[in-house]
Amino acid sequence: MNGVPQSKLLWLVSIAFITAIPLVAGSYVVGVMCFIAIFGGLAVSMGLLLGQAGMFSLAHPVWFGLGGYVSGILALRGIAPPWLGSIIGAVFVGFVSYVIGAPLLRLKGYYLACATFGLLLIVQISLGQLGPLTGGHEGLMGIPPFSIGGFILETDVHYYYLSWALCLACLWFLYNLMGSRMGRAIKSFSDSEVAAKSMGINVPRFKLKVFILTAMMASLTGSVYTCYLRFAEPGIFGFPLQVQLMTMVIIGGGKTLYGPLLGGFVVMWVKELIHMYLGKVLPRMGAQVDALFFGVLIIVILIFMPGGLSGWMDRLLDLGRRTFGKTSG
Amino acid sequence: MTGGSIYAVIGICWSLVYLITKVLNFTTGEFVMLGGMLTWVFRTAGFSLVPSVLFAVACTILISMILERIAVRPVRYPNEVTYMMITIAGASVIKGLVLLAWGSETRRIESFFDTEIIHLFGATITSQVLCVFGLLVIVTIGLSLFLNRTLFGKALRASAVNLTGASLMGIDIGRFRLFCFGLAGGLGAITGIVITPITFTGYEVGMLTGLKGLVAAIVGGWTMTGTMVAALALGLIEGFGAGFISAGLKDVFALLIMILFLIVRTMNFASRTGRGSP
Repeated sequence: MNGVPQSKLLWLVSIAFITAIPLVAGSYVVGVMCFIAIFGGLAVSMGLLLGQAGMFSLAHPVWFGLGGYVSGILALRGIAPPWLGSIIGAVFVGFVSYVIGAPLLRLKGYYLACATFGLLLIVQISLGQLGPLTGGHEGLMGIPPFSIGGFILETDVHYYYLSWALCLACLWFLYNLMGSRMGRAIKSFSDSEVAAKSMGINVPRFKLKVFILTAMMASLTGSVYTCYLRFAEPGIFGFPLQVQLMTMVIIGGGKTLYGPLLGGFVVMWVKELIHMYLGKVLPRMGAQVDALFFGVLIIVILIFMPGGLSGWMDRLLDLGRRTFGKTSG
Repeated sequence: MTGGSIYAVIGICWSLVYLITKVLNFTTGEFVMLGGMLTWVFRTAGFSLVPSVLFAVACTILISMILERIAVRPVRYPNEVTYMMITIAGASVIKGLVLLAWGSETRRIESFFDTEIIHLFGATITSQVLCVFGLLVIVTIGLSLFLNRTLFGKALRASAVNLTGASLMGIDIGRFRLFCFGLAGGLGAITGIVITPITFTGYEVGMLTGLKGLVAAIVGGWTMTGTMVAALALGLIEGFGAGFISAGLKDVFALLIMILFLIVRTMNFASRTGRGSP
């Protein structure tokens, strides 16, 4: 789609590449790649919302965090193992996003963004205040690791495969979705809602569906994330995460599905480089300082490269095809 | 009531920028923070109160204008979402820089007057609270005089109503945008300075304070009187909520009000106002 070579070959090559990395690379690289899969997967679902459906919702970290908290609490209390907890979390988040999304998605543009931003802050503050349930500002400690049928995932490599499997599954699912009737409807209303309505598309219903779907995806990623860190606190699901996600989507380009993942790749490595080289010079490194760099990146990209990396690559591919192609239409 | 007055001024900052430039400027809250923070910086550098306040306001105005020039102006495909992402990014840049430069501790500056407590008609209030009220009164009177009596102010109002029409009448829109950002930055900074002796300041206070101003502006329908009424009501509700329900959840009330208001507005009976509604 959109001139992206979406062939089985490309999928196979990238899967083989990703599978091979832990066999050759050290634990540091695997750890970073693990975060890339988690945040990249999250950015992919946000990119669908922002780039394809044209809905600027700032509530994505909410679903990520809620999913993580639900599975974390269930696992800590011994009610459900993490794999079941993450599914319960996704269902719970799906329900919550339905209840919240139904009235909220009537809003457009600025107002949707303001309302979802409010939601983000409300959830973050409440998570900090509901001490007995969520552990308050200190957060949840000692969440048990992921385990499936007696096999416990402990090392980075295990989580590497789990998170990449989830990330690629989401991507694959979204590719199929966007090729379907629903996908075409989604694209149509991002261009012009009036035109979409006149073609008989039930815009509010599709919006709600996309909203719930991306929320559930974010929730699943959130569960994996908290199980990997074995820890959850309100601070990591807040505004800095939102800025980070925005940076990923913008750098990668939200108009394509693989763009945000590409953006995630770039952003996480830039972050590592910054930590590596500037960590000694600037002593106070935290999420807020990362957000500073991301902010600069966002401004620069939006001004000089509005299509992001994938938009740029698509243009390059297009140019190549026109120059070297056998037939020109 | 103190909170309410503060939100009113901040809300006016939001609507000034929004009405002229159609940019929802998420750095507004950061200007409030910058005002307090910079005053603290100049105070600790050894300046006395008046010059440090002046310096802080001037710096914030400058930063605000620079932001408009290098970040908001050059956007190639301007639309709501892009503007918003830019200003959110700008806010996190300012926040990060302040954190890097002056650390994460909360800072305070002393009250403006030596007499801390004043007895007025049997009630006792601190002098600083009076300053806050004074600020609100001065800002509203000053702004309405400016907007209604001067040529420049009238031109500003004209471009808020119809940008194309105004530019056809020979009004330089580019200069106006710059001016609005500067004015909002300056007002925000003054607000931040006045409030700092009461609530203290730190690198992270901007976002929430700013958002509450936005709540007031939205609920008030982007007009000055509306914003003031909404802001004062918001301050009262917040006070009662903190007193009767939970102090920790104080900030949640304002945000809930905003969300509920926005939802109610989309229903048919509420959105029949003329100017300012989308």
